[in-house]
Amino acid sequence: MIKAIFYKEWIKTRWYLLLAFVVSMGFAIYAMLRISRVCSLKGVDHLWVVMMQRDAIFVELLQYVPMILGLILAIVQFAPEMHHRSFKLTLHLPIRATKALASMLSFGMMVLLLTFLPALLLMWGYLQTILAPELYWHILLSVLPWYLAGVAAYLLACWVALEPTWGRRVSNLVIGILLLRMYFLAPAPEAYNEFLPLLVIVTLSYSLLSVLSLTRFRDGRQD
Amino acid sequence: MENIIECRNLTHYYGKRLIYENLSFNVPRGRILGLLGKNGTGKTTTINILSGFLQPRSGECRILGEKIGEMNPFTRRKIGLLIEGHVQYQFMNIEEIERFYASFYPNWKREAYYELMSRLKVAPHQRINRMSCGQRSQVALGLILAQDPEVLVLDDFSLGLDPGYRRLFVDYMREYAKAEDKTVFLTSHIIQDMERLVDDCIVMDYGKILVQMPVKELLGTFRRYTAQVGDGFEMQEIPDMYNPSVIRQTLEVFSMHPEDEVKAQLSLLGVNNVQAEHVGLEDAFIGLTGKY
Amino acid sequence: MFKISKILFSLIVMFLLVWQLPACYNFFMSTPVDTPFTLYSSIARDFASLQTDENKKMHYRDASGNEYTEEQFDSILPAFYYRQLVTDGRFPDTICGISVTPRQIQLANFTMRLSPLDLNKPKLGLWQMLETMSGRVDLELPDDAFRITSDGIEFVKMETNTVDVDKSQRFTKAMKQKGFEFPALSLSGNPTDRKEYDEGYAMLDAVKKLYHVKQTVGRPYVKAISLPEGLVPQHLFITEFPSRKWLCFLTDVEGYLWVVERESYAVKPTEIPSFNPSEESALIIGNMFDWTVKVNRAERECYYAISAKDYSLIDSLSYETPVHRMLGLTFTTSKDKFVKPRFK
Repeated sequence: MIKAIFYKEWIKTRWYLLLAFVVSMGFAIYAMLRISRVCSLKGVDHLWVVMMQRDAIFVELLQYVPMILGLILAIVQFAPEMHHRSFKLTLHLPIRATKALASMLSFGMMVLLLTFLPALLLMWGYLQTILAPELYWHILLSVLPWYLAGVAAYLLACWVALEPTWGRRVSNLVIGILLLRMYFLAPAPEAYNEFLPLLVIVTLSYSLLSVLSLTRFRDGRQD
Repeated sequence: MENIIECRNLTHYYGKRLIYENLSFNVPRGRILGLLGKNGTGKTTTINILSGFLQPRSGECRILGEKIGEMNPFTRRKIGLLIEGHVQYQFMNIEEIERFYASFYPNWKREAYYELMSRLKVAPHQRINRMSCGQRSQVALGLILAQDPEVLVLDDFSLGLDPGYRRLFVDYMREYAKAEDKTVFLTSHIIQDMERLVDDCIVMDYGKILVQMPVKELLGTFRRYTAQVGDGFEMQEIPDMYNPSVIRQTLEVFSMHPEDEVKAQLSLLGVNNVQAEHVGLEDAFIGLTGKY
Repeated sequence: MFKISKILFSLIVMFLLVWQLPACYNFFMSTPVDTPFTLYSSIARDFASLQTDENKKMHYRDASGNEYTEEQFDSILPAFYYRQLVTDGRFPDTICGISVTPRQIQLANFTMRLSPLDLNKPKLGLWQMLETMSGRVDLELPDDAFRITSDGIEFVKMETNTVDVDKSQRFTKAMKQKGFEFPALSLSGNPTDRKEYDEGYAMLDAVKKLYHVKQTVGRPYVKAISLPEGLVPQHLFITEFPSRKWLCFLTDVEGYLWVVERESYAVKPTEIPSFNPSEESALIIGNMFDWTVKVNRAERECYYAISAKDYSLIDSLSYETPVHRMLGLTFTTSKDKFVKPRFK
């Protein structure tokens, strides 16, 4: 039955999945091309020196990409369920509602993993050919909170989308935006290193929020 | 007779607005029960409670003996649900949606679904959101037939359907429910449809049930009485006489009581030459609930 | 599950309240405290300050309350305003009884900022060691970078991203010969070609012994610097001032500032009262007569005047900088470059 839920999610998201993968990889490739262009114009030395002296990481353009991808994924996945309240159909399936929801969210998380991980691997693969571990980990650790923000944006948007009343949806949205700010407070690269493990746990815990919306939906809350 | 649906003392409010208080009814096995009521009397509220999408303030509902809020998910296999407007997953096509639902129901009757689909003039890969409301109703019906549930809960099945599709739906449903001994609970805003389909009816007014009985019994006993009356005649309220009105010196009143009794009561008020006639379900409904 | 979600939701709301409410309050209610620009004047033998009032009028005065004109103010701070004095033809022949030229003043002047932000930030772990005697006028950046591992110094060729084994071994050997115990706890250098000269790095080895390491004609130069009894260094600050008088400043574990003279490697204490460089920022504006040291302490801005000759304390002054802050959760501070939750 979980397979069937995955099948349903797949039908909803297959085109977006391709798009998200292309965009995610596209931005990563573009960022790497920019770096490789710096290298060919000014030499690898220049890249190292700028990184060491000026705290540059050259991949700032990736900052909001995962967040936007996560946000749209939640919309692509849950807007059709909210259309005519067809989420009722999902809740009527002979499967526990929380299990159905968990399957839907797991599917989304897998999509994000499949979109983000190859981009990170690509960067890791390319950067380690030209940079010392200190430098490429500096870049990768700096972008990690942004990818985590993608996961957070997805989970929070699911919570907002599933909420049945508009009043609550707006207040949830405000909470969601404030929570997302937490991922973009970095004044410097690698600023999140110490906080990252806790932030991962906090981010994953957002998945529980959707249970609230689910319960409110099932209880028939209306504006 | 075994009750498949039992609702006891349902009370519900939206905010502070009372919808109804202490509403109770049963649907026995094999019966088709229609819920009739004007807008706002709580038809959709009742359907939502029955399908588990609304928690009533108090009271409880059981389907197949299980409380709806605490129902074992597998029990839902035996309950077919048609959501208002024949809503189905819009993003799927008829093949995908069949494949999706099939894995949830061990007794899935694929042929029943495809038999119905073969009559629709749609391509197998046409998505449901590209279909007409009538075609969608057939998809929704086909899915319910394939699910082959014991109980069917249908919310306003006539919404958005043209007469042909409505008739198709009603006939199919009636034949299916009777042949397979299914229990059906339904609402519709088009009462002629109900007349062809339901065995029993519940007529709701604001906050209460007016009548719950077999349709045959209702139509057999419910009559319209008309008579000419003088100028300035004012009808006084008499228990069990519904919605008396005087238009152009013609009195109209409805009652379920035996014809002789009603005529005798009216003659006590000075109303004579009373005409009595049987009416259809729609007129009976209007007679019971009034035009306003 | 529902209960856990509900608890989580309440926690999130509480968390946002203790984060956002104080932040909003502090944003709207805090007014910057405007302290006057203050320097010690060896001529007036007092702190001299310059402040703009509400009418944008400048007030020049000393701590005793004497008012000055702008020209008088230039004159009592001749080292700071020497260019103005030279332009006006007012530069004196002697200052405090010592005959000086503008060039001497310029060479002796320095400004040094010790910011907690520089200490409390993610360390990259790669540095560059310049050639101190390249034979050219301008410094050049090397084509390698180095890291300090647990058993040596490792130079990596940037072009090929490979370790220069030979150079690494030479430097490691030289350092070990001088008793350097790897890894280094702290190192301070200024690897840029935009400076007049290069003194390499001041390093603290694993047992907190102080070293000077630089590259001279491709060869390692390693000097173990003997520290006065009881001194345990904590933070190093390479100076590379035009005067070339010092190799570096350092603060010890108790927060006292010491200077390390460049030629003699003599380590001398200053009488600046102790402060915590990883919490309190300090600004040192020095000249050939005196240093003005400003330390930003909690709710107080402290000024200390230090003799440039023997680093003794001449005078001190402090301004109250009251902070009206609502307690709350924050993620960033002005004292480090980390993002993490903290209650303050």
